[in-house]
Parts: sequence; C-alpha cells; structure tokens
Amino acid sequence: MAKKPRVMIVGGGLAGLAAAMKLAELEVDVDLMSLTPVKRSHSVCAQGGINSVNDQTRQLGDDEWKHFDDTVYGGDFLQHQPPVKEMAYWAPTIIDLMDRLGVTFNRTPEGFLDRRRFGGTLYKRTAFAGATTGQQLLYALDEQVRRWEVAGRIRKFEFWDFLAPILDETGRCRGCVAQDLVSMEIRAFPADFLVLATGGCGLIFGRSTMSMVCTGSAVSRCFQAGAKYGNGEFIQVHPTAIPGADKLRLMSESARGEGGRVWVPRKPHDPRDPRQIPEEERYYFLEERYPEYGNLVPRDIATREIFNVCVNEGLSVDPDRQAVYLDLTHIPRSELDRKLGGILEIYEKFQGVDPREVPMKIFPAVHYSMGGLWVDYERSADGGLVPAHPKNQATNIPGMYAIGECDYQYHGANRLGANSLLSCIFSGLFVAPGLKEQLEHLDSLASEAPATLFESAQRQQQHRHDKLLSQEGGGENPYLLHQQLGDIMTRTATVVRHNDQLREAIDRVLELRDRADRCSLSDTGHWTNQNVVFTKALQDMFPVALTILRGALLRDECRGAHYKPEFELPGLTSDDPAERRRQAEQWVDAFIEKNQKWLKSTIARWDPQQRDVEISYEPVDTSLIPPRPRLYGLVGAETIEEVWRERQQRASEPAGAGAAGRS
Amino acid sequence: MAETHTSSATPESFEVRILRQDGPGQASYWERHRVQYEPQMNVISVLQKIAAQATTADGRSVSPVVWDCNCLEEICGACTMVINGRVRQACSALVDNLLRYENPTEIRLEPMSKFPVIRDLMVDRSRLFRALEKVRAWVPVDGYYDLGPGPRISPKVQEQAYPLSKCMSCGCCLEACPQYTKVELTQEPGESDEAFEARKKAAYDQAFIGAHAISQAMLFNMHPTGKHEAAERLDQLTAPGGIQICGNAQNCVAVCPKEIPLTTSIGRAGRAATLHVLRKWFDG
Amino acid sequence: MAEPTPQPTFLQRHEFLLRRLHSLSGLIPVGAYMCVHLFVNASLLNSPASYQDAVYQIHSLGKLLPVVEWGFIFLPILFHAIFGVVIMFGGLPNTANYRYAANYRYMLQRATGVIAFLFIFYHVFHMHGWFHSEWWLENVARPLGGARFAPYNAGSSLAEAYGGFIPVIYAVGVAACVYHLANGIWTMGITWGVWTTPAGQRRATVVCGVFGVLLLAVAAASWMGPMRTNAKKAREIEDKMYRAKVAAGELDPAEASHKRAGHERVGKGDGERASTK
Repeated sequence: MAKKPRVMIVGGGLAGLAAAMKLAELEVDVDLMSLTPVKRSHSVCAQGGINSVNDQTRQLGDDEWKHFDDTVYGGDFLQHQPPVKEMAYWAPTIIDLMDRLGVTFNRTPEGFLDRRRFGGTLYKRTAFAGATTGQQLLYALDEQVRRWEVAGRIRKFEFWDFLAPILDETGRCRGCVAQDLVSMEIRAFPADFLVLATGGCGLIFGRSTMSMVCTGSAVSRCFQAGAKYGNGEFIQVHPTAIPGADKLRLMSESARGEGGRVWVPRKPHDPRDPRQIPEEERYYFLEERYPEYGNLVPRDIATREIFNVCVNEGLSVDPDRQAVYLDLTHIPRSELDRKLGGILEIYEKFQGVDPREVPMKIFPAVHYSMGGLWVDYERSADGGLVPAHPKNQATNIPGMYAIGECDYQYHGANRLGANSLLSCIFSGLFVAPGLKEQLEHLDSLASEAPATLFESAQRQQQHRHDKLLSQEGGGENPYLLHQQLGDIMTRTATVVRHNDQLREAIDRVLELRDRADRCSLSDTGHWTNQNVVFTKALQDMFPVALTILRGALLRDECRGAHYKPEFELPGLTSDDPAERRRQAEQWVDAFIEKNQKWLKSTIARWDPQQRDVEISYEPVDTSLIPPRPRLYGLVGAETIEEVWRERQQRASEPAGAGAAGRS
Repeated sequence: MAETHTSSATPESFEVRILRQDGPGQASYWERHRVQYEPQMNVISVLQKIAAQATTADGRSVSPVVWDCNCLEEICGACTMVINGRVRQACSALVDNLLRYENPTEIRLEPMSKFPVIRDLMVDRSRLFRALEKVRAWVPVDGYYDLGPGPRISPKVQEQAYPLSKCMSCGCCLEACPQYTKVELTQEPGESDEAFEARKKAAYDQAFIGAHAISQAMLFNMHPTGKHEAAERLDQLTAPGGIQICGNAQNCVAVCPKEIPLTTSIGRAGRAATLHVLRKWFDG
Repeated sequence: MAEPTPQPTFLQRHEFLLRRLHSLSGLIPVGAYMCVHLFVNASLLNSPASYQDAVYQIHSLGKLLPVVEWGFIFLPILFHAIFGVVIMFGGLPNTANYRYAANYRYMLQRATGVIAFLFIFYHVFHMHGWFHSEWWLENVARPLGGARFAPYNAGSSLAEAYGGFIPVIYAVGVAACVYHLANGIWTMGITWGVWTTPAGQRRATVVCGVFGVLLLAVAAASWMGPMRTNAKKAREIEDKMYRAKVAAGELDPAEASHKRAGHERVGKGDGERASTK
C-alpha cells in the first residue's frame, strides 16, 4: 500500500480546526493533536465578536482598506502590512463561511447578521453570537472536523502533549514527538508538515484570563529547536478583570460604559465595608486625573492607572491582593439588570457577591500575546499575499508552520478587539492551500524517513521524562516555582515597564530557571501523571519568559501595549502658539526618530549553550500605510497633527510615495 | 459585605474528602485533606492548593489529585465532577456557598459515576463525543470555498437555536440522568488499539445517547441546511440507544450549568421521531 | 482474546418500537380498561343491581369474553408489566442526590409500576384464580383464598371476599395504579411529543393531576362499594335477577350456573365465613 503524506496540526482551537478542516477538504490526511478535547480549547473564552466589513458599513463609507487601516493603526504599525491587508479583505468571506457552518449569530428582524460596534473603529463591523462568539465559532469548526473524522480524513489525538519537533539532518521538520497524557506513552509522529496552532502563553504570568492549557510550552519547544520568536514583549493586558484565586476572569468594558466608577479608599487597605466609606474619603483617581474622560479613558490608560494606584501608590483595597473598586451600586438595580444583566451574573457566579449591592473588585489581567513564532509570507503585486504559496505562515524551520495566536503576524504592538477570532480562522484557512501545493511535489515522505530519526527523537524525550521522575534531592516544588515566576512577570512585564525592574526580573527568572531543573515530583507514577507534565511545561516557560523580558528591556520606547514611562513622548506644555508649534515640530522629529530606531520586529532566537535568548531586529513592511502618530488623549494633539500633515504633504509631493497600494 | 460574611461564618480551615482511584479497574478509596480557608475560593483553587501541599489531613505524603480543567470560566466543560453528591463544574462551585448552604465543615469530591474513571477525578468522556458523531451534529455544507452568505434566519429561530448551541459537552445531564448508565470496557490482552476502539464505539452506540446529543440533533434539524440530514438524524434517534430510553426524570434540565432547555429538545425530538417513524412506515 | 463485538439483541434492535408499544399499551388498552373497570365497580356503591347489570352486560359477550379478556386485557397488561420491569432494570434512581419533583415522579412511576404489577397478579388470583381449569380452581386457587368472584352474584361475592386486611391491599394497589396511569399519561405526552416546552408540560401536569384526582375519587367509590354492601341482601337481588334472565331465556342454567356463588365446591372455612356474613 502506497503511503500517503500527512500533516500534523498541534492545537485544536479556531486556527488549528480551521486548518484541519480546510486541509481535509483538499483531500489531505490530517492528524490533529491537542492537550484537551478540541471542543474545550481556549477559543471558547472569546466573548465579543468577529470583525468584518459588511453591506451596511460599506454604505456608510467603510471598506476593507479601512478595516486594514484600523488594525494597523491599533497595532501601532508594528505588523507587516501585506498579511493584515489580506486578512481584512478575507474577513467578509470568513463570516459568510461561519454563517453557512451554522454559527448562531445574532440576527436582525429581517434575518441578516446583526452587528455591533467595538473599540478602535467607527463602524458596526462586529458580528456576534450572544456573549459567547468564540464558543460558537469554535463549535462550528469542531463539528466540521468531527464530520471529517467520521469520514476518516482526520485523526484526532486528544489528551496528547506536544514535546518536540523532529528535525532531520538537513534541518527540515519531519514530525513531532508527543506524550499521551493518560498512559504517559511517548511516541514519534512522522509528519510531512507540522503546523503549530497552540495559542497564547498566559500561564507564564501565573494567573491571566487565559485557560490552563495556555502555557506556551509547545511554542517554547519549537523555539528551543531553532524557531524564531517575534515581538515577544507585546502582551495585551485587559484593564478590568475579576481577580480569582485560580484565574482572572474578564469584566466587560461596558460596566464602565454604563456609568461604573473606579475608586480606592484614600486610606490604604481601609478595612471598612466599602459602602460605609464616605465620599470624601474615596479616591476616584480616573475622574480626578482625567476630568474630561473620567472612567471612560482608553483601555491602555485605564490599565496603567489602576496598576499604578495599586502597585506604586499602595492603595489597593486589599492588603494581600491588588484590586480597585468598580462601583455600580449608585445605579438603580432595575437599570443594571436591563443593561448589564449577563455580565453582572458572571461576577455573581464566580465571586458569590452581588455587584448591584457591593462594589466589584477588579484589576488588570494579562489577556493576549501579540508576539509568537515568527512566520513568513509571500507578498503579491497588489500588496496582499500570494495564495497557496509555501511561504505563507511558514516558520524559519522548513516544514514547520504556525497559525493563530501563537504566530506573531497580525496584531503588531496591540490587538484590536474582535480581531483575534478573525486572525485565527484566517491564518488556519490560508495556510492549507500552501501545504497542499507542496505535498504534491514532495521528494520523500516523512513516514519513509529512516526509523532511527524518530527513534532517537523519541528516546531523547523519554530520557527527559524518566530523569524527571527519578531525580531526587532537588526538593523544588514546581507549583510554588510557577507562582514565583508568575509574580515576577506580572509585576515587571505587564502594564508598566522599567528597565531596572526588568533587569532584576531577568536575574530572578534565570535563577528560577535553574531551580526548576531541580524539581522533585510528588507523583512519580506512570499513569496520568499531571505532576510531571506540568513540571515540563514549567521548565519550558522560561525561554518564553526570557524572550518577553529581554525584548521589553531592550525596547526603549512606548509602542502599543509596551509602555515605558521613561521613554514616553510628552505632550505639549506651552500655551504660546509659536512655542507650541515649535514643540510640535520637535515632537514630530522625535516621533520620526523613534520609528527609525524602533519600528522593527523584535526577533528572539534561543541559544542552547547559554540557555538564554538572543535578540535582533528586522524591518517591518509598512509600504501600504505609512506610520502615523497615535495622538489619542495627548495634550496638543491638534498642533502635532497639523505639523504631521504638512510634513506628509511635503514628502509626497516630489516622489508620490506614501499612497502606494491604494487602488 | 462579602468580607463580613466570610470572616464571621466560616472556619479557619475545612476538610476535603476526595474519592480517589489510581487507575481504571482499580479500587477507589477516600482520602481526607485539610485546606486553609481563604475568601472567594472555588473547588479548582482548593484542588490547586491540595496539589501544592501534596499531604493529606493525617500528614501522609501523597501524589497530587488528578482532575480535568481548562477555562475555569464555566464555558469549556472540562472540570465536571460530583461535588457533595451533585454533579457540577468545579470552577463555578464556590467554597463559600458549599460551606454555607451544604455542609459547614466538609466538601466531598467524587469523579462522575457514569463514565470510566481514568484516575482520581478524571474520567473518560469519549462516549459523549461519540454520541455527537452518531447524531451527525454538524451542518452538511458543500465545502469551505466562498459560496456567499448563509441562509437567512429569523431572530426567533436564532433565539431558539442559540441556547442549544451553548452545550459545552460537560456531561452533567448524563451524570444526573437515571437512565444513562455506565459503559466501561477493558482492553483485552492481545487486542489492538483499533479493535478496542471499534468495540468501544459499538458498545457506546447501543447504550443511551443522552440528553445532550438529542438536543444537538434538534439544533441541527432546526437549521435550514442542517435540515437536509434531518431524516438521518431521526434514524439515529430511533435506533438502539436512542430517545426511547429517556425516562422523563428531567434531571438533565435541572443540572445543566448552561440552562439549556434539554427537556424541550427531548419533547420535540419525541414528536419528530413519532412522525418520522409513521412517515417511514406509511409514506416511505 | 478479545470477544467479538456483541450483536444487538432482539430487544435492542426493536427498542424504539417496543418502548413506544409499551407507552401506548399503558394508555390503550390497559389504562382505558382500568377506567372502565373502576367505573363499573363504582356502580356497586349505587346498588348491587346496577353493578350486576353492568357485569351481565360484560358477560353478554359469552364465548367471546375470554378472547377479549386475553387479547385486550391480560396480554397487554402482561406485556406492559414485564417490559416495564425490563425498563426499570435499565435505570438507576438517584433521588437521594437530585431532589427534584420530576425525579421523584420518575422514581414513583417505577415504584407504583411494581406495586401495580404485584397487585394486579394478586387481584386476578383473588377474584378469578388465574386459570379457569376446574382442577386448579378447586385444588389450588380456592383453598388459597382465590377465585372469589362469582359474576352472577357479583356484588355479594365481592362483599364476601372483602374481609380482613384485604381492603388495605386494594387501597394501596388501586392508588398505585391510578398514580401510574395519571403520571404515565404525562410522560407519554413528552415521549410522543404532545407537550414539549416547560410551560406546556406544566399545563399538562395540571391536566394529568386533575385527571388523577378524579380517577382516584372513582377508585375510592369502587373501593367502598363492597364494604357498604350487605352480602345477604345483595345475594337475594342477584338471584332474583338470575332467575329472571333464565326465565327470559337469556341464560342457559347448564352453562351459566358455574358463574354463580355457592355453585362451586366451597372450602369449609370459606363456607362458614360466607354464611356468617
């Protein structure tokens, strides 16, 4: 029987399922591996929706280009523009497809898809299914994959942990080694292509809004095998999450939108019931510092201020935990139920406290990783991508691809709301034809490669596993080390970053990395041993943690989610028009200089000798939309904008540059 | 308010009794753990603490308890277990409520009883997913090329479908169902994995499919394109293990964490099955 | 060695049909028959004559009666009862952990099913002795207190058979049957898809509840009938009616006399008890 080529997809969230289903349609045999049953993947947690231009917004002046522009502007121009452009142009057809697959999108009375408006845009682009859009999209793909599984085209390996890619002597990826989480069997899987779709790495921060499988270990294992990691330091933090002992759960921005007030007692850790604290002893810090916007300052500012008031000013409402009050109790109960019923129930369910009666306690939480495995693309003549090209979504390791949150490609320095679901499905669908194309011209099949290649890879992992089980002495507890890693990362590498703190954090993380080598396991058994699986994941968190810290330390600027107060471009201070104008010129000069220096992708590579990362930089393709300053909320924004426009005009007159791509 | 509640009415620590089992086919045993009380704990954080402690109430070192979880937001369906005798998600089971309303000194954790135990609180729920295959719980689209928008759907139909599509395959409805009984097979010596898998599927297919799968069949029979396979789904609902096994105890709807109207789906499936069989006999 | 995948059994292959037949047979004919039976028996509370009239009407089927009894009553009951036990063994009641009304009703449906099963077996023995074979009746059934019903002395034989703790058995048995039917109609409505939504099912609960209460009232009347009946007086009326029927040529004494009380060979103790009443 002639052997057939196979593709191994690791990760069964939106991206992995989209790729699996599309490959199956292209008559490619697929193996799909996941830590959990794919239906339980982290994509289910996405609440808001998925963006695309649509017939209605189009008639209001919207088009794909504007969606592209919003995404690039939101990402502070750090993404390569062709893939983003391609994604924006694909978006309407992706929503059509998901609609055909039976996603229960909300409907207009006439039966069309209903849309809502999300942050970062003026148009109602976002299609949604109740408050569980991610869940609904994932289920639709899960169902299609199940259909292909019944048809025999897809094989699922659920409860399997990806341990390492297998590279042959030429450096090409020929499959992977993985471990059955139930029987603990370690097995080599030959694959002609390996597609990573393993999502984010929130667990490096201890607790985040991410699911328990989001350890980043699979990505780290590819990184340690030589894959490049891009823009690691860009981590999105959501301003309002509900702190829990086990995880941080999102509290929608709409709580502030409907009149919620953020405050802390002026007296640190005031032990009184918040409702007994009189008005004058309350510090409404957002309202005091931003009288114009009040509690509705943009997300990143809200995040920074809440962080600052707790961490730097020590005004957290709890002595042993960081939190501020988000107070809705001044709003009548009936009004709250009508406008915020669903989200208040989430708070009540997990906190056991009624937020209509008692102020909520909230704190920012790590939410999304813009960075991830570096991937390539092939630019088309019109500035988009060449479809079915082998380079699309390819990592620097031949034969290895990355899609979804675990690639670095679409969100730059900050992700726009309701764009993550889109990028996951898009990259999953888009990678498939490129693989199909190559499968037809393979020189040899992975399954026919020498058995020694797979045996030695398997042995290497078996050795690591056995060593961990048998090593005694070290005495380190992996769970406690994880808590310490999370504390350091959360304190130094989330909302506000300072170089001295980052330097110190690197030292501490290196120390923890070495201590993690000496973990003693409380479970040394050979059946469903979660202890050893977690310990391995913990050990593999350090390369990514170091990537985040080193990238953040080196990047001396503010961009998107990366905020270093020392390097912030200040607003204009003068009231005198001429002086103001001069300051604006200076500001623009500084901005241009900053971009020349820092508008670059951070590229991390693993140095196995040093067991540390090396950082370099690559230029960003900004050929379609020239970078421009983000001036939201800045003092003197109008003057700066004026100066900026004049300069753009001057620059475009002789050469006609800057308008490329717009056709 | 929360603080006053918890500090006055709750103990310094509480006991957690866990029904453990080292592997399939092995005897289960109770193990006691003592956990320091903290405000706003849930059962997941209790288990995390027990994992970090790795010591029982009487001071013995033990391996950490094995359990399944992922999102911790009650939307992935992973962390289903039997808590104080009642099936639910561990992530949304708050310690304050368990101590206040159920038992002030102790929390009792057991694995689901209707699925084979893998280890401790982790069970094998593959039968549940097999049922989704059986009822063809998908929309049979032509393919994934751009073929324009989907069919128009009235908001009324969407409002009916959306609650059903929130099913997260957690298994609560099956655990609480008196008609859903455990099917546990063991691999025979010399039996290949494939042969064992096939034997399991055959056994699963003859046992009750359960409320979740009946409801999913109704969800897809409601969809304008899903409808095209309505007859095939009804064939499965009237096959061995089908809807006829339902005994109308209606526990499914009472324990469903997503409040899915499962009994409405069952009623509608019953009606559709009646008409389907009559049609097959007299109109086929 | 792995055993081959077991083939589905007959029960499994026809599970849907059998369960639906089980559901249907509970209403028609079993449930419907039970209603008629209770109404007929309640007529004894009116007078022994009206009861006797009703029994004559039933017995006017003559030779067809056994066919009707077996085809429409005994076989369906046997099927419903035996298959019901099969169903019951397929479930695991869990009211200890899930204390919901519907779950208690589920459990009660099975409990009353078992009670009804045992009760009906006892009842048929008590009244008719199970088999019509003369040998069986004389040597087994009657000595054990069975086969007490005499169709042409319907009310009096009933009253005579209704002594001691027997009314208690009947009270429990009939109440179980009534619950089983009323709740059975409710579950049947879901099974066949008549009421589907929670609101619809709530309304159906009310309807079935009212039906159950009314039927229980009829059952209570029929339960009280034999106790309120003076066997001696009733016997006189019945005998008069019998003689009138024979005179009118509607009954042939040669064939009909075994349906009269005292025309069978009576056990000593029984005879004494009958005469003391």
